[in-house]
Amino acid sequence: MLSLGLIRGLIVGAIGAVIGMALTMAARVALGRPAWSADPVSFVGAISWIVFFLVGIGAFSDWWRWAQGEQAGDPHHPDPNAPQWKRYFSFDPSHKVIGIQYTVTALALMYVAGLLALIMRLELARSGLQFMSPNTYNTIMGLHGIVMIGAILLGVSGMANYLIPLMVGAPDMAFPRLNALSFWITVPGVVLIVLSFFTGGFDTGWTGYPPLGARAPLGILFFYLGVFAIGLSSILGSINFLTTTLKMRAPGMSLFRMPIFVWGMLATSIIQLVATQFIGMSFLMVVLERVLGMGFFDPAKGGDAVLFQHIFWFYSHPAVYIFILPGLGIISELLPVFVRKPLFGYKFVALSSMAIAIIGFLVWAHHMFTVGLGNVLNSTFMFTTVLVAVPTGIKFFNWLATMWEGKISFETPMLFVLGAFVIFLIGGLSGPPNGTVVTDFFLHETYWVVGHFHHTMFGGFVFPFMAAIYFWFPKVTGRMYNERLGKLHFWLMTIGFFMVTTSMFRIGLLGMRRRIADYDPALGFDTFQMIATMGGFLVGLSMLVFLVNIVRSIRAGERAPENPWRSRSLEWQISSPPPEFNYPTPPVVVGGPYDYGVPGSVYVRFGIAGASDADPARTSSDNGKS
Amino acid sequence: MSTATTHTSAVVHPEYDRLALNRFGLWLFFFSESLIFLILLLTRFYLFGTSRPEELNQTLGLAITVILLLSSFTAYRAETAIAHDDRPQFLRNLLATILLGTLFLLGVVLVEWPEAPRLGIVPQEGFGIAFFSMTGMHAFHVLSGVLLLLMVYLNGRRGAYSSDSYWGVEASIKYWHFVDVVWVFFYPALYLL
Amino acid sequence: MEAKKAAKLRLGWIVIGILAVLTAVEFWVAIAINSALLYLAVLALAKAALIVQYFMHVNQLWHKEGHE
Repeated sequence: MLSLGLIRGLIVGAIGAVIGMALTMAARVALGRPAWSADPVSFVGAISWIVFFLVGIGAFSDWWRWAQGEQAGDPHHPDPNAPQWKRYFSFDPSHKVIGIQYTVTALALMYVAGLLALIMRLELARSGLQFMSPNTYNTIMGLHGIVMIGAILLGVSGMANYLIPLMVGAPDMAFPRLNALSFWITVPGVVLIVLSFFTGGFDTGWTGYPPLGARAPLGILFFYLGVFAIGLSSILGSINFLTTTLKMRAPGMSLFRMPIFVWGMLATSIIQLVATQFIGMSFLMVVLERVLGMGFFDPAKGGDAVLFQHIFWFYSHPAVYIFILPGLGIISELLPVFVRKPLFGYKFVALSSMAIAIIGFLVWAHHMFTVGLGNVLNSTFMFTTVLVAVPTGIKFFNWLATMWEGKISFETPMLFVLGAFVIFLIGGLSGPPNGTVVTDFFLHETYWVVGHFHHTMFGGFVFPFMAAIYFWFPKVTGRMYNERLGKLHFWLMTIGFFMVTTSMFRIGLLGMRRRIADYDPALGFDTFQMIATMGGFLVGLSMLVFLVNIVRSIRAGERAPENPWRSRSLEWQISSPPPEFNYPTPPVVVGGPYDYGVPGSVYVRFGIAGASDADPARTSSDNGKS
Repeated sequence: MSTATTHTSAVVHPEYDRLALNRFGLWLFFFSESLIFLILLLTRFYLFGTSRPEELNQTLGLAITVILLLSSFTAYRAETAIAHDDRPQFLRNLLATILLGTLFLLGVVLVEWPEAPRLGIVPQEGFGIAFFSMTGMHAFHVLSGVLLLLMVYLNGRRGAYSSDSYWGVEASIKYWHFVDVVWVFFYPALYLL
Repeated sequence: MEAKKAAKLRLGWIVIGILAVLTAVEFWVAIAINSALLYLAVLALAKAALIVQYFMHVNQLWHKEGHE
């Protein structure tokens, strides 16, 4: 049992939390104060829980050895005698293990958050309170939001961890230990977020605005600190992605020969590196207000509550581009494979991701039109907001042109790509009414915004994520998924999703407020709320079909051929699952990545003379089994 | 810290310039850290404009600023020394850096922090919010920098570094300079405006 | 080798000298000028640039020749 890193982490972490709380109480007594005060004691307890969890799992052991002047050597030393499954529950620096850890955790969180959504939908199905107090509803709504956000961040990291080193032809990430740390720090973070439910919950929603956030029950402290841990993971991950992408590409892979997914992740990593500090600091400042009484956001003490919204949205708007840019990258990545045509306008698709990332930094205050920033700021942010539509539009037209006159085949990944295309299009079109000041005054805080947001998240992340899972399933497991169940999943999910969001748009325009547990029957929302609830359960059912498909296929799916999709990308040119250090012979990129159907075009060659003299150690005998 | 992987990493992937990767990652980390301080700096200006209480101890502010700049100077000398295999000079200058850093820390935490509330600058409200959060976040980084340098010093005494293998020295000293750069901006924002 | 080292150490003296002068100017500006924000910002940027360039060797990022 104790050979599992996770178990050790949980035990040592729990001990650490108790020690931290005890020390804080002792210090308080020494200072002549009452021993127990919920916020400071829990704060120190939560921080030491995170640190000791990581100590217990062994995240710091190599660094500790360095600090003592010893040599830690190669980070990759999987015990050849230990069973393979144990690696997934331990501190393992291999990017493929970490990618799977991230993806599975993300899926687990999606199921949890989806369940919370279904509970909310049950409550909303009819007018009047069914089975929940408004406060519980608020906590569940906030949890649904933040757990989904965590799931999406982890899912993005999962895809990126597994795919980026493979796609750029590297044996692993640039900093493998740091990479493992980035994953494992999310686990205590998630535990803290779950803990927030059992320590009074929080009635602020996922945004945690002060002054309510500064007064809410203890639960919100754990919520803030959990988000803080996940944010730290996001920053450390982005350092790894950027270094790997910019410094470790295979010979011949210039920036404009990178797969589009890598471009999307490059833009995403830049946002993560620049913006994540802002949500972390905004939450830390509220925590300081709660724990030490520093009145950052309290006007009575010289603070300002709007300051929080500025700092918070400077991350939280670009965050949605963190969620969607990898997804849009997946769409661009898969379309040419299933259309058997070159990607139309490769450079424009690649650079539009960067453009979205950069413009994304200049739009945050469109969440604050109703705060009262004044006409000048409001209209400035309105223009920058609508500007985002330009690079997004470039992507759409290029995708359309890619599909034009192509030989489209409709396997499950392609279905999800097309679904993402349609859903994200509607998400994009429902955005400008929110981004325009005059209409936003009416749409702000209504279900219209909820519908818009879910369209962008499903079109930008969930559907591409599903497409990615089906597409790379044969690569990761060496087996094929069940095509019929996959298609069933797609159709159930799409129909259910449209039932939900169409109703949301409808009742939003009629004036249904978001974030409330109840509504007046006289408003006439009951029918559409019921349709939305039924749609929500259809989406839930589709996710069960997905689960059955994945579990059955991992255990008993038919063996996948080497390259079932006839993809040109690097990762499909090696065995499935890939060897420990990916490429037995060094890949050399000699052409464009998406020249499907172009006669005589080659993307990658292996073991070319001249490339191998740069790295004599990487021969097949040496690398694959070390 | 990673002397081990930097120069003896013939185990797995010798084709990458480990030092270049480490440096790139370290600078990305600095960039990301600098935003934390930028947020605090912006908060200070957002809440209090260019105003500043007159009561702050100017002598102390100038003294700790000079001390921190001097420590950067000795850190630079230490790195130059180890780059040319001059171990005694390296250790001497590193020790001076650690002492100056500790002096700075004591100046902030033991002198400035108890004194400011007596002058009416409390952490809970008014300018004290900015003053204590900025100096606190910075002091936290100084503390971690001192600890890092101390580890490097102890390893250096055991003979851990040489002119072709001193990434651990380089990284911690770069971090120390970074902490100094932060104070270069914090000092005028807190004491001089 | 020794000459290179002596040059480096001399450079250190020059940089810390300029930093000291700039700090003194900062202090004087704060006393003598009323709305000193712009001047102080320029001075701080100059100091930071000196440290980043000469003490932190930022140009190592685009000149790769190993240590020093």
